[in-house]
Amino acid sequence: MIKKIFVALAIFGLFSIFLPIMINFDFHQNLSELSTQYVKGSVEDLNSQNVVTSVIVTYRGLDTLGEVTVLFLATAGIGFLLKKRKGKKRVASELLQTSSSFLSVVIIMFGIFIFSHGHLTPGGGFQGGVMIASAFLLLMLSDVNLELNHTILQFIESLSGAFYVVVGLIGLVLTIGFLNSKIIPLGEYGNLFSAGAIPLIYSFVGLKVGSELTNILDAMGGD
Amino acid sequence: MVNPIFILILSLAAGFLLSIFEKGGRKLSLTVFYGVLSFNVFVIAEWFYRIVFLSEPALIINTAGFTAPLSINLRLGLQESFVLLFTNFTGLMAAIYLFRKFIKSHISSLILYLILIMGINGLVMTRDLFNMFVFMEIVSISTYALTILTKTRDSLTAGFKYMIAGGTASIFFLLGVVFVYYFTGNLNLDFITQSDFSHFGLISLFLLAMAVFIELKPFPANGWALDVYQSVNSGITSVIAVVNSAGIFFVFYKISPLLPVHLLHILGIAGVITFFFSNLMGLKQTNAKRLLGYSSIGQIGLLVASLSFTIHYQTSLIYLIVGGFFVNHLIAKAGLFWLTGIVEKENLKDWGVLKNNKSLLILFGVLLFALSGLPPFPGFWAKWEFIKILTQTKMFWVVGTILLGSLFEIIFLFRWFTIAVKGDIDSNEKEIPFEFSKLFPIALFSGIILLISVAIMKSYYDFTLIQLLPIIAVLGVYLLDFIPSKIKGFLSLIVVGIYGYYLYPFESNLQLFFGIIFIVGSAINIIGTLNRKNLSQGFYGFLLMMIFSFGNLIIAKTYLEFFLAWEFMTISSFVLILRGNKAQMASLMYMIFSTAGAYLMMVGFSYAPALNSNSVLINSIANVQLPVLSIILLAIGFMIKSGSFGVHIWLPEAHAEAESDVSPFISAILLKAGVFGLLMIGISYIKNTPSFDVFYFVGWFGVITALVGAFLASFQEDAKRLLAYSSMSQVGYIVASIAILSHLGWLSAMYLSFNHMMFKSALFIAIAGVYYRTHTRTMYEMGGLIKKMPLSYITVLISIIAVSGVPPLSGFGAKWLIYSSFIEKGWYFQAGVLFFSSGVSFLYLYRLIHTIFLGQLKYEHQDIKEAPIWFIIPQYIFMAGIMAISMNPNLIIQPLNSIVGHYFQSAILIDGYNITSSLGNWNGNLVMMVTMGVFIVPLLFLKLYNGKTQKVEQFNIVYAAERPESPQTTHIAHNMYAHYRKALGGWGKPRIWNFWHEATEWSHSFGDFFRHIYTGNGQTYILHIILYIVVIYIILGV
Amino acid sequence: MIFALILGFALLLIGIYGMLSQRNLIKIVISFSIADTGTHIIIVAIGYLRGRTAPILDKAIDIANATHKVVDPIPSALVLTAIVIGLAVTALMLSFIIELYKKKKSLSIDDYQELKW
Repeated sequence: MIKKIFVALAIFGLFSIFLPIMINFDFHQNLSELSTQYVKGSVEDLNSQNVVTSVIVTYRGLDTLGEVTVLFLATAGIGFLLKKRKGKKRVASELLQTSSSFLSVVIIMFGIFIFSHGHLTPGGGFQGGVMIASAFLLLMLSDVNLELNHTILQFIESLSGAFYVVVGLIGLVLTIGFLNSKIIPLGEYGNLFSAGAIPLIYSFVGLKVGSELTNILDAMGGD
Repeated sequence: MVNPIFILILSLAAGFLLSIFEKGGRKLSLTVFYGVLSFNVFVIAEWFYRIVFLSEPALIINTAGFTAPLSINLRLGLQESFVLLFTNFTGLMAAIYLFRKFIKSHISSLILYLILIMGINGLVMTRDLFNMFVFMEIVSISTYALTILTKTRDSLTAGFKYMIAGGTASIFFLLGVVFVYYFTGNLNLDFITQSDFSHFGLISLFLLAMAVFIELKPFPANGWALDVYQSVNSGITSVIAVVNSAGIFFVFYKISPLLPVHLLHILGIAGVITFFFSNLMGLKQTNAKRLLGYSSIGQIGLLVASLSFTIHYQTSLIYLIVGGFFVNHLIAKAGLFWLTGIVEKENLKDWGVLKNNKSLLILFGVLLFALSGLPPFPGFWAKWEFIKILTQTKMFWVVGTILLGSLFEIIFLFRWFTIAVKGDIDSNEKEIPFEFSKLFPIALFSGIILLISVAIMKSYYDFTLIQLLPIIAVLGVYLLDFIPSKIKGFLSLIVVGIYGYYLYPFESNLQLFFGIIFIVGSAINIIGTLNRKNLSQGFYGFLLMMIFSFGNLIIAKTYLEFFLAWEFMTISSFVLILRGNKAQMASLMYMIFSTAGAYLMMVGFSYAPALNSNSVLINSIANVQLPVLSIILLAIGFMIKSGSFGVHIWLPEAHAEAESDVSPFISAILLKAGVFGLLMIGISYIKNTPSFDVFYFVGWFGVITALVGAFLASFQEDAKRLLAYSSMSQVGYIVASIAILSHLGWLSAMYLSFNHMMFKSALFIAIAGVYYRTHTRTMYEMGGLIKKMPLSYITVLISIIAVSGVPPLSGFGAKWLIYSSFIEKGWYFQAGVLFFSSGVSFLYLYRLIHTIFLGQLKYEHQDIKEAPIWFIIPQYIFMAGIMAISMNPNLIIQPLNSIVGHYFQSAILIDGYNITSSLGNWNGNLVMMVTMGVFIVPLLFLKLYNGKTQKVEQFNIVYAAERPESPQTTHIAHNMYAHYRKALGGWGKPRIWNFWHEATEWSHSFGDFFRHIYTGNGQTYILHIILYIVVIYIILGV
Repeated sequence: MIFALILGFALLLIGIYGMLSQRNLIKIVISFSIADTGTHIIIVAIGYLRGRTAPILDKAIDIANATHKVVDPIPSALVLTAIVIGLAVTALMLSFIIELYKKKKSLSIDDYQELKW
């Protein structure tokens, strides 16, 4: 009972902290100075249609590298925590098995499209990676005894991460800054091969995220 | 010169690829792992060197080919490189510590560890708020996962609680960051200033600050952290408590310039509260790692407080205070956590096993002394300067809370230490296994913290070698410890001689007087230690440390030098007392009271006005008007050391339980340090008399101490306790005479000090000889030793005559002077009480000589011999001294007269052997002659006419044909003054002892009460966090 | 769009309420996720500017005048990172629960309070 009162007090307290923000909140009329520079720079400096992607991959590339690392850490942590055990026999219906194996290929293809077009469309490495992982989730659900090839997954995961770092490193070697995406010619605005290294980086991110999430799902599905 | 961004790059690449390297075997991955960690240390060390010694400017690293704020930038300046050097190095050492674990565990643990260290580097260097959030999550997630390096249910539970608490904090951090962006349009710390925020916009900074603050584990929103500290593998715990805390603290440091002053102050006070409560709750802990957890949380609170309150002072001071607390706490804590992993004893009670492992014990001692904030460790300097700032800005509540918290910390840390040195151990206890990889980091860290300590003393304070001498003594003798103790003893004697010669000539004769008491007195007492048989490891180191600190006390030129010598004296005497067989409790009590006294003195000195001359303190303080508060605090501090009534309970324990050749140092010499201190205040007092007459009360305390000490001495069965209480009583006389503040008063105080030094040394050494032969200190178990140990008997006889103040010996002069001075001052009532207590002292003096030496010899003492020669020599040196000043008091009165004449108009006239005061005259030589005559005539008469005496059996008592089981207890010597005790009625109860006992019980109960808020339920911990944020918000009143 | 902001705060409070009141470990993690999502919605709401479109400068937008046409790209970029981090934390929490359940066969947070005081 006392605890309930305290919980109520806590929530009420938080509410009263947030209330002034909600009441006084006013949307900005214009972009901040920084965003204006981003919007301009995305076109002029990076030749990338998607400003958000420019921000994520180039301007705030260190964040994204960190983000990939976080996901990687979660995978490593979960792998460390959960040792995979043999699953129980349970066979899904043939209909589900057939359709899911068919569907998963389409989903993977779509995932690849998403991450390779991150600079052009609302999408990117993470979204693409998640789609790829969802394809594997579908396969796992339909066939609980699915044995993934861990060596390949591990290689994809490790190497795509390492290549991401290497791509960043090239910028440093060329003394134009770590994670600079201008190491590759910027190409023609609006094309697939434009925006410098952004699509390349997003592809590595996509592969890495896809393999990592698959690993996580696999580890958790073991029980 | 490697770009520090390579630390991030290489760690990440290695982290990503480690699972592939693993295919080539664990050796390969371990090589890569340790290689990268060492590379990090190397890179940062080079930058640190460049920035500090080559004065290179801070390095700014832009990423992505754009400058900030467009892109994220990193900064590596002095502060960053310092923190990173420290964290990377600790990270490497913890990894070495975990070497055996890492050989076997899953490869993921290496990856997680590597990236954890990488995350800290990013966290410290980045200037972008959101990037900080990302690195913070990197650090958190790898830490969460590493909590289960040793997977137990407890570590899993703790890890889960840690995750939900950390997750909650990170939600607030994220909110704070985006609202900072909303209000300022920027995320880069270099482009945001406090003025960018409207009043309403401060909410974003509030959320940000609270999130970081929660991660710093403030009381009471920190239950999760305690569970983690308790249950997780020691190596990882050290990383969490040290590396992570350092990183997060640095985040707090980075955002602190943005925070409004009142928020910063509130957080500072919250830090102080955390420090206080963690240490209070630590009192009840029995689990070693959880105790360290409490201490850790407390220290981080202190660190936050020190930053919040000093942020507007000059940089060098901030570096000393915040940097000092930082380095001190984190190094000591890492080392201690590692030690818990080696000792593998959860319960503090079982730490007695350390006794059998000298090297571990020494490391434990170094780290623990450092953690307690004792000199020479960095925490001491930080605390001194911090308290000074706080006192000068009159934040007395904060000062009091911090010092009380520190005292609690001293209590539980030293309780732990005394257990480790003296605790019981199971006989079938296994030896602690030796693992180089685990021991190496601890040894290295202990060495580093000593080096840093010396560096601070040399470079910041510009101390000379002489101030370092006490430490050098301990370290030097430690290296020579293989030499037999007798040779070490002789060497010590020579060293003390050289030291004394070096100190001579003094600026003031008062110094010379105390120099004789401290240095010459100690030197003679060293002879008594030559009787030691085995190696006596460590003994002479600490003995020399104590003697050097005595000397440094009298030549101190600043408050700090004085206080430093004082603390060194406390440390060394504590260790010496602890060497006694049953001294666990006694030494702990001594340490607690001494520390409390030291803290009062610290505040007293901090509040005192600055000195304006370069003379020694005892001279220059004459020109300083000490505030009343300073005088009160300093007087209490000195009176604790001299065992005044009310704070005396440590004294009998410490003096009695110390080894028997140590007791004379403690009782006859150490107490005079308090006397010296009181005289020092007195010198300022007489020239600049304060509005409130503190010394009137000091005088009363002295008088009561003299009386109570005499009564308590009379009721003791233990010879050393009797002598200890006698010292208490005698120092009471001295304190009272100082408080008179007149020529006669000071003359008698100093005369008595000198006299007491001699007879109390002689008595303690004599009793040491008796104990050496009879193996007992209980007096009724002895008797009739006059025939077996005549030389010791003569010493005791002469000494007690000297104590009691009957003619013809020196004590008579002392008493004559004291009563004269009291009557002259008009303190008649006090004089009466002193006179009465002189009478009481006959009781214990008679008991001492009667029970031990007179009466009949016990059967088991038939074959004992005279005390060893090494005990006899110093006794007779002192006897010669007593006889000399008894025969010719001018030897001492004349010089004292001139010393005191420096401060007061002389009130006595010396004419040949005759000394005249306003009340009468005293001719010591004549008194001696007359008394001798009076003594010799009856003696000859008795010898001639009373030759036939009948001897009676002592224990021929039979009750109804039944012999009592323990015949000694039926003897008069047992419970000798029971009737007087009865006569005292209710006054005889140990009220003071009960008072302190109750105080201890209460503080422990409070600690126990408060720690129950940590219910163990993860959900409650979240509730604490949310409520904490709400409460701070309400206090802030935004 | 002020409703998005209010919705965000509402979810945040609901999530935290859930974390404080639910006994089941998995429900606590779900509550955490809800609170996290609330935060993400707040972030997105902050970046909104009235009457503007997504910051993707394709043919539909006059590139020369783009700064007056699109919403703030920074919060969108931040929220993406925040989502992934939230996901990682949630995944790790769930795997802790799996292990805890294996050890004690209980999902109530009240059963995991051996460590205390």
